Amino acid sequence: MSTLRNVAVVGFAQAPIVAHDAHRVASEMLYPVVRQALAQCGVERDAIDYQTAGSADYIDGRPFGFVGALDVMGTWPPRQDSHLEMDAAFAAYYAWIRMQAGECDTALVVGYGKVSEGEPERILNLQLDPYYLAPLGLGPMTTAALQASAYMARTGTSDRDLAEIAARRRAAAVGNADAQVRTAASADELQRTPWAVEPLRQGYVPPIGESAVCLILAAEGKAETMCKQPVWIGGVDQRAELQSLGARDLTRSASTKLATEKALAMAGLASANEVDVIETLAANPVEEMIVREAMGLPARGETRPAINPSGGPLAGHPLMMTGLIRLGEAFRQLSGAADGHAVPNARRAIAHSAQGHCLQQNLVFVLGRERRWS
Amino acid sequence: MKRPVAVVGVGQTKHSARRADVNIAGLVREAVDRALLDAGLEHKDIDAVVIGKAPDMLEGVMQPEQFLVGAVGGHLKPVVRIHTAGSVGATTALAAVTHVASGLFERVLTIAFEKQSEGNAMWALSPTMPFMPPLVAGAGGYFAPYIRAYIARTGAPPHIGPMIAANARANAGRNQYAHLQEPMTVDDVMQSPMLWDPIRYLETCPSSDGAIAMVVASEAAAKKGPRKPAWVKGGASYAEAMWVPGRDQVNPHAGRACAKHVYAQAGITDPWNQIDAAEIYVPFSWFEAMWLENLGFCEIGQGWKVVERGEQKFGAHLPMNPSGGVLCSNPIGASGMLRLGEAALQVMGRAGAHQVEGAKTALGHAYGGGAQYFAMWVVGAEL
Repeated sequence: MSTLRNVAVVGFAQAPIVAHDAHRVASEMLYPVVRQALAQCGVERDAIDYQTAGSADYIDGRPFGFVGALDVMGTWPPRQDSHLEMDAAFAAYYAWIRMQAGECDTALVVGYGKVSEGEPERILNLQLDPYYLAPLGLGPMTTAALQASAYMARTGTSDRDLAEIAARRRAAAVGNADAQVRTAASADELQRTPWAVEPLRQGYVPPIGESAVCLILAAEGKAETMCKQPVWIGGVDQRAELQSLGARDLTRSASTKLATEKALAMAGLASANEVDVIETLAANPVEEMIVREAMGLPARGETRPAINPSGGPLAGHPLMMTGLIRLGEAFRQLSGAADGHAVPNARRAIAHSAQGHCLQQNLVFVLGRERRWS
Repeated sequence: MKRPVAVVGVGQTKHSARRADVNIAGLVREAVDRALLDAGLEHKDIDAVVIGKAPDMLEGVMQPEQFLVGAVGGHLKPVVRIHTAGSVGATTALAAVTHVASGLFERVLTIAFEKQSEGNAMWALSPTMPFMPPLVAGAGGYFAPYIRAYIARTGAPPHIGPMIAANARANAGRNQYAHLQEPMTVDDVMQSPMLWDPIRYLETCPSSDGAIAMVVASEAAAKKGPRKPAWVKGGASYAEAMWVPGRDQVNPHAGRACAKHVYAQAGITDPWNQIDAAEIYVPFSWFEAMWLENLGFCEIGQGWKVVERGEQKFGAHLPMNPSGGVLCSNPIGASGMLRLGEAALQVMGRAGAHQVEGAKTALGHAYGGGAQYFAMWVVGAEL
């Protein structure tokens, strides 16, 4: 790997996740967040030379939903722009590539969309192969349950194990002011919740909510002027897998494994054990175990690195921006802005994002307080 | 751009109203296979895949790139999905160029498609805006007022749109992949039913099934290929807000800004004389006259006169849409990339019967949203 440009996260703002914001449309939710992120960096919109967004039309319940984001991103005069029909973390990945190509020095990245417009369990069925899978009526909960069954059968993981992981995430979320669910629940309580789809209980699946997110990236030279402690991207990689549930081993994530290896190598690290914090989009305890294994970490246990100190998706899952929030949380941890859920002395972090049913596509950022390349 | 990028392979499907012989994956795979064959490459040679299409409501599949990972050879590769409304095909190809320019990828496969026969385009293209009653007027209903504004401003006579439509159809007759190829006269167009005044039936793009794929590569990779590549001399994508006082949808600021940026990269100061062929996004006839002005090919108010003089016809000074363009083939998500791919084929000298003789520099252009998204590239025969 030749020398790349040092690029950092320099600003991050997020609307607190709620089940349903009855008073604002998606662009109204986004506007204050864009202003907050710019204010953190002490700049106006003119100082940013690229913008990109992540959202999905089906989540917003209309075609071209993302066009509404233009109005509150400061898209006047016209700006260099793109939009990814993906979790906004992938938009941040693409902005990073643009910086490597020398096409911009600063970028505004937003996650946008109003999840409460529809019923995610039905809508996300439409992500599946329309000929062979979607007609079966599978939704994200049922595919996750199939994956969980397979994983538990392979590893001997018990219902109690899932309850304990979920309880720890719930406890962590109490300290996160942006979390949707901020009440702790014990493993006993969670284990008594009814099945969502067996073997996943309602206490183990994420509360779907809505939010709005803005993250600002800047290359070396600009980053230091916009942020006291820029959080530098040392490595990043993303990989997709075949969708078909029968075509891959659902109990392992080959794409997470490969993306992590590539991102760590780019960052000059030998192992995920060298980071202090991992924020992962693993949406239930089984996915978390699969992601941890794929990263070469023990599937269970709470030592370093700390896993989802924000509570993670189990504390709030605003679709198409949950991944960008992971990157923002890594920034908060490493820049000293994590307040009530800060991990002491955190110097390096991994931010993991995923897309599709059963961790079909995975994106891994490796971040640090120090510049990667000199 | 940090380093040169070239188009080394182009493949497209035959575009038609309904490709009942293939499913969505089959349609996409047809274009991918042709692009790889054209580039002399296999899936193992590809480092990343960048896919684009217009609203997912067109087929009723959310983020269909996820189920298409196998069809595009994306397993265990980076895959990116772009969606910037009608401009998406062009923005997608430009994102692939950026991937290669970054130095991180040597060869990137980029794909755009739409299989409109799977759904209802009028419904899928009728967005519901907050605080506004749904118009359900589709794209034609949305753009007709801007065309009327253009006519009011310039005093263009009513036969300009029909002239553009008839010329596009004549061009499509030379393109084996075009959807609509039956010849028609200006009079035929003027006799066709009025849909959204002043847009008549035969001045409207069709709904098509179709796909295009390209392989873009680094200089080193391009020079190993079997064919002469098309070099990307400049590219950019711009957007502007929807609700801004002073926006001009007839001559959009974002279109001018994008063209200016791209011409500067490509060293173009006089587009009318330095560009040999242009593939521009014309979903409704009159936009060809409007974009002639917006892209700086002539003075403001003069676009319709260029058309009236026939200077944008095949064989004339600056052939516009020698492939027949969007008016003759419109798989929406693919239409933008088709413009860029056709521009590349022109400078490669491989456009077949619609080859513009001696084309060395070509423009590919697309727009989308409420005339707010613009994406374009200039390609050249020489590095």
